[in-house]
Amino acid sequence: MRELTLIHLYPDLMNLYGDRGNIVTLKRRCEWRGIQLNVVPVSLGDPFDADRADIVFIGGGQDYEQAILQDDALTKKRDDILRAVESDVVFLAICGGYQLLGSHYLTGEGKRIECLGALDVCTEAGRKRLIGNLIFDCPFLPEENRKVIGFENHSGMTFRGPSVNPLGRVLYGHGNTGSDGTEGALYRNVIGSYSHGSLLPKNPALADFLLERALLRRYPAGERLSPLPDELERKAREGLLKRFLHTS
Amino acid sequence: MAFSAKTSAAVLAARFLTFTMRLLGSGGTSLPGKVALRICPDLLARLSGHFSILMVTGTNGKTTTSRMVAQLLEASGLRYRTNKSGANLASGITATVACATSLFGNPKVPWLLLEADEAAFRVTAPHLKPKAVIATNFFRDQLDRFGELYSTLNAVREGLAGTPDSLLVFNADDSLCASLGIGMDTGKAASRRLFPFGLSVSASPGSDAFSSDAAFCIRCSTRYRYSASSYGHLGHFSCPSCGYGRPTPAILCETVVAGPDSSRVRIVTNRGAYEAEIGLPGLYNVYNGLSAAALAEALSLPHDAVVKALASFERGFGRMESFQAEGRTVQIILVKNPTGFDQVLGYLETLPGPVTPAFLINDGLADGTDVSWLWDVDFERFAARFASRFEEQAADDAAFMAVSGLRADDMAVRLKYAGVPESRILICPEPDAMFLDALARTPKGGTLCLMPTYTALLALRGILAKRYGLRDFWK
Repeated sequence: MRELTLIHLYPDLMNLYGDRGNIVTLKRRCEWRGIQLNVVPVSLGDPFDADRADIVFIGGGQDYEQAILQDDALTKKRDDILRAVESDVVFLAICGGYQLLGSHYLTGEGKRIECLGALDVCTEAGRKRLIGNLIFDCPFLPEENRKVIGFENHSGMTFRGPSVNPLGRVLYGHGNTGSDGTEGALYRNVIGSYSHGSLLPKNPALADFLLERALLRRYPAGERLSPLPDELERKAREGLLKRFLHTS
Repeated sequence: MAFSAKTSAAVLAARFLTFTMRLLGSGGTSLPGKVALRICPDLLARLSGHFSILMVTGTNGKTTTSRMVAQLLEASGLRYRTNKSGANLASGITATVACATSLFGNPKVPWLLLEADEAAFRVTAPHLKPKAVIATNFFRDQLDRFGELYSTLNAVREGLAGTPDSLLVFNADDSLCASLGIGMDTGKAASRRLFPFGLSVSASPGSDAFSSDAAFCIRCSTRYRYSASSYGHLGHFSCPSCGYGRPTPAILCETVVAGPDSSRVRIVTNRGAYEAEIGLPGLYNVYNGLSAAALAEALSLPHDAVVKALASFERGFGRMESFQAEGRTVQIILVKNPTGFDQVLGYLETLPGPVTPAFLINDGLADGTDVSWLWDVDFERFAARFASRFEEQAADDAAFMAVSGLRADDMAVRLKYAGVPESRILICPEPDAMFLDALARTPKGGTLCLMPTYTALLALRGILAKRYGLRDFWK
């Protein structure tokens, strides 16, 4: 039986807006294909084992909780996280987790908060909170599932450096900055996004994309993922796309 | 304060509009207050001095607690008015205050009981100068509206700062709520009189929540230690670093004997110990009852009035109302945030006989436009507990779960990933049609348990009122 290990970073601190749904989704979609997904929580004081990780997930948190983990992340885990990113471990980082992977966060008072620097993006506090349903187009997903649906709730505006591609183009909602038309970041196998929702259950193609990448890295000669019926997911997606994009 | 023509006009407008809208059969509750405030922006400050005002705020349990307090006032022989309909925003509160005032500026009743949304509390409490405030608890709720839980807590903190003489009744087991009782800078108790309530160690069953809303000390960010826990982040917390910890409850629930329809509790205060029956099941209702009992201490109301109130209060709008329909029991329980939802699912597991869970999820402003909180509810556990029911009733294909509302499909996906077989999920986005279908498919003698979000509840009430004569909710 093929096996993958997912490291859930700071699950007790970064757990806003149903982000755990992403893990539930990855776990089920592995289970339905006879793949075992081991979920390992790694929080304050725990070592981050880059060699063990196939997938790393980090969710969003409230400002209060994010401030608590800052020191632990930078002094105890930074090097291992950077090594994991550069060796193509799959990352999914949502909202506060996405910001944490970047180089720094500039507060409204102009204070610079150092972040991990694993991803060439930086975030500035915005004046307005960007809240609402978010739909964006991801060109690397299969044609019929390119539109990714989530829900954003952030005041930070995230800017990308030259080495980082946007995850997608905003079709509905705000995205990275609210004005540049992009949402999220894609670098090597790292995906950063502002989409809660949860993101993966409503976008099974994206969930499978992450699993494919992780499997390819761990089992280069292994067979590809078998397709799943996804009827309920398709129905939920169609309803929302119709409602917000007025597509038929 | 002199009663000016402006005040009089505002009172008149609010009363006239409220009366007219009721006459027209509209349940709308925000317009009269808005108009009154437009005419006289400082109306609340002008009117509040005539009343003894009680306010109930916090994220969960406001309505049920208010119903209990209402009954407590009743049983104590105190005449009151209240914003009964769940009109707990500033406009609804204003209308209630105005309608309790005569055109000559005299109070029609001595007491006002006002349920206040946290943001509304911040704005109105400094003007209302309530005699006592109940802060029930702080759980994540409707974050898309408020931003973050700490903002919600701070809204209440700010409101309290504007009314320093109010007696404060608060949940000692909730580290967030209990922080309202300490001066945040000094750690010393504020000068106001405090009435913390909480559960004893033996009354706390232990929490199995998979994510806490407040795991880290609000003062110094160290992880709390718990010597007992009840549910969510509620329990006997203490910070090993700065010494912040659960205040000793002045109103302690010493024992809880939980039943399917009610809980029997023993309450200890410095005026003595007594037993009471709380007429709704679930530990969260024990807390609600305890907060009403704590208010009785703050106001020196007799214990027998508490006992009477907790046993006989009127169930709130969509708070576990039940009625009989075609030989089945129909129960309605409002759901609005993960902790509350988990408690409701726990209650469903205790129901005997066939149960059809029906989830009605909307994403209107009053529901929270973000439905991602459904992923924070422990449906995994619920699905596992229900799996045996599916097996038992496999032959006649009876056991199922229904989903409805604007986000019916999202809810169906949630159940699928929780482990509910797709063939057992009935999807019917239209609430009335779902209700009729699910009722017909629930075995006779069984229970159809409707769990709607707020606007889905409103959508259902029409058909339920017409068919089963449920009273109009704003009365």
